[in-house]
Amino acid sequence: MVVNQFGQFGALLKREIIENRNLFISTPALLAVIFFVFSIWVVSFVPSAEIATGIEYLSMLFDGLSPLQMAPVFLLPAVPFIVTLYICAIIYLINSLYQDRKDASVLFWQSMPVSNLQTVISKVVTICAIAPVFYVAILFVLHLLAVAMLVALGLTYNVQVAGLGYMFMASVLSLLLIYLSAITTALWLLPSIGWLLLFSAFARKTPILWAVGVFILLGFLEDFVFGSQYLANWVESRSNPQQYMFFEFTDVVERLFSYDMLFGVVVGSILISGAISMRRFID
Amino acid sequence: MTNIVEARSLVKRYGDFTALDGVDLSIPSGSISGLIGPNGAGKTTTMKALVGLCDVEGELEVAGRDPRSARHKLMEEVCFIADVGILPKWLKVAQVLEFVSAVHPKFVRERAEKFLSTTEIPSNKRIKDLSKGMVTQLHLAIVMAIDVRLLVLDEPTLGLDIIYRKEFYDRLLNEYYDGDCTIIISTHQVEEIETLLSHLVFIKNGRITLDSSMNNFADRYFEVVVDPDKLTAADTLEPIYTRELLGKKTYMFEDVPLQQLEPLGEVLTPTVADLFVAKMKEDHHGG
Repeated sequence: MVVNQFGQFGALLKREIIENRNLFISTPALLAVIFFVFSIWVVSFVPSAEIATGIEYLSMLFDGLSPLQMAPVFLLPAVPFIVTLYICAIIYLINSLYQDRKDASVLFWQSMPVSNLQTVISKVVTICAIAPVFYVAILFVLHLLAVAMLVALGLTYNVQVAGLGYMFMASVLSLLLIYLSAITTALWLLPSIGWLLLFSAFARKTPILWAVGVFILLGFLEDFVFGSQYLANWVESRSNPQQYMFFEFTDVVERLFSYDMLFGVVVGSILISGAISMRRFID
Repeated sequence: MTNIVEARSLVKRYGDFTALDGVDLSIPSGSISGLIGPNGAGKTTTMKALVGLCDVEGELEVAGRDPRSARHKLMEEVCFIADVGILPKWLKVAQVLEFVSAVHPKFVRERAEKFLSTTEIPSNKRIKDLSKGMVTQLHLAIVMAIDVRLLVLDEPTLGLDIIYRKEFYDRLLNEYYDGDCTIIISTHQVEEIETLLSHLVFIKNGRITLDSSMNNFADRYFEVVVDPDKLTAADTLEPIYTRELLGKKTYMFEDVPLQQLEPLGEVLTPTVADLFVAKMKEDHHGG
């Protein structure tokens, strides 16, 4: 049996997806279904003439315009999905190195020739790059259904629908923007990812309370001992929701190659190393 | 014979509690060794230390590696079953096999599937839907499909009924053990494995109280049903354990020459279970 590093790592990623299919697939899928049904329900109250006018207006609005320019229009309907992704990410990270210790399956995972470095990195890669793929894929299906429905209605009411093709291209490009935003934000929040993983690997019970409690304690101690609030200010400087949404591809590049980003990645890496070290012995 | 496990002065403390208190252990390659002790004696801590899951003080070498610094490399040579319940409950049977075949270079999936075809385990079921006995069978199927140098089994049949327990050891011995690999089994149910063993280790309160091959065991330990008029003479030979059965006094001796014992009464070879009880009560007896 030939086993290579890539094969091993692929198996670890697959394991994360199967274990967390509810967070990564079922939750956004359910949200999409609610979104779609709600949209149809709302549209059902709109008179036919107004629907026809609306479709014609959309078709004209997007017709001939650069999908790249129009892509940010589709960021707004994606906000509930992005917020859900962040909530699921917190749940995932805080349980990722705790749950298998809780149910003792860690003894099985640790009985395999897989290093703790590979295991922890697979979790970081899962949340930074793999989980957003599912959210974006489900948004894609939602966009596809919406456009198909608009085209069908447009043809029924005999209005111009050619511009909807541009609209669909803009919506697809928005998904690329959302995906790159998610990865960039994950790297921007790498210190938070490292912090949650650290306490997920450390706590014997209630890791979320440890993660939040220790953070508050450190902030309080800094204020009490040094009279400063560097920690709180630093976290606040990275907590503005506007920082998590990129409206243009150039914004993504600008953020990725900034000193602030580099500093955060270094701090995050140190905390992730701590989680790997904690994972070494499970007693 | 070389040793696959060499441990010197292993110490493990959990706060005020000392789980391992200077454990010395040598497990010969190719042996089937039993680590036997009562609950809380330090068996699981020792087994976890052997596979790098527990940080201990002292010198430790397993299959030529220090498990504390090279666990994942060591696990290419060592298989570990900790308890029947440790397979991830949310995985399907086929997914477990797929995972192991992707990460373990010595896993032969066809062999595991062949083993499973002799059981009633469906490959599309999640592990949480299997009975405890089936989970053990599945874990055994995985382990038996991996060619390793050392198999570490920590109370592998705990909580199983007698049919699954017997089948577990029968298949392990008949279908897996070939004399090249080494098997270490920890248990507190001595009678279940005593016929399998070629090497015996007793542990009590974090200390090894016996480390002997089964061949030596028969030469070192004797039980004597002492004649009533020889009791004083028997006492002078410092038995490690005495018991009374149906009015007859039986003494157990350690490292006392057979010719000194024969005049005292009928000499018997104790069972491992008898010796285990004797060793566990040794301090109370003052031996």
